[in-house]
Amino acid sequence: MSCDEGSPPRRIPVQSVNGPLRFEITLTSDPRLLGVVRSAVEQFAAALGMEDAQCRKITLAVDEALSNVMRHAYKNEGNHSIQLNCQAQADCLEFTFIDRGEPADPARICAQPLDEVALGGRGTHLIRQIMDEVSYERFPDHNRLRLKKSLPGAGKQP
Amino acid sequence: MKAATRQQSGNTIVDVSGDIDMGTSPRLRKLLLECLPKTPRLVVNFSDVRYIDSSGIASMVEVLMKARNSHKRLVLYGLNKTVQEVLQLTRLNRVFEIRKTEEEALQV
Repeated sequence: MSCDEGSPPRRIPVQSVNGPLRFEITLTSDPRLLGVVRSAVEQFAAALGMEDAQCRKITLAVDEALSNVMRHAYKNEGNHSIQLNCQAQADCLEFTFIDRGEPADPARICAQPLDEVALGGRGTHLIRQIMDEVSYERFPDHNRLRLKKSLPGAGKQP
Repeated sequence: MKAATRQQSGNTIVDVSGDIDMGTSPRLRKLLLECLPKTPRLVVNFSDVRYIDSSGIASMVEVLMKARNSHKRLVLYGLNKTVQEVLQLTRLNRVFEIRKTEEEALQV
């Protein structure tokens, strides 16, 4: 592979003959695995040609969401299952988290105004600041959280 | 994450390395809160910190508040782009005392 020094990041087509690029991770709710997921997500975003700063932000948002599942849905119990689906659509990156823990508190999902010296509450704020869409649904036996990030040049989602 | 302490010019420096996240930030919080009463200025070396999340930020804010309440200084130095970006996103880059080098962090 040859690289032209100084050339701008190149968007790699996210559609292949097999459909959108995607991967899934199923992990236990153990914080020691957060670094594993961060590495995978950052490399996924980089493989799509996103700039380094954007890759880092997306990784931060996914990491914060995963931490919230471990902390709030599973109450810091490390032996439960979390499914994370990462998918590159033509115009956006989409991350879906599925867990079978406690329902989320709607007040917590809606980011509170940022208080500089508050001890908590920044995770949700970061997620909403970085991602273009955040949606949460409670099903009878599981929670589903979706984060969407528009791809550069694709325009904001309506 | 690893963290070790040393003394320099009458101040405590904590050298931190690795990732500060939900799994590791409680250990860093505990260490910093233990160090704070024993030093007039607590300096945290972030040069080898690759990543920090909101739980790490919350720990640092807690230490900062305790430092202010006891009229001590908390100084951070050596922050990489990733850490700086998280501080900017949480609007804390002007709340913490941040220096580029250890020498600057130890200046009066």
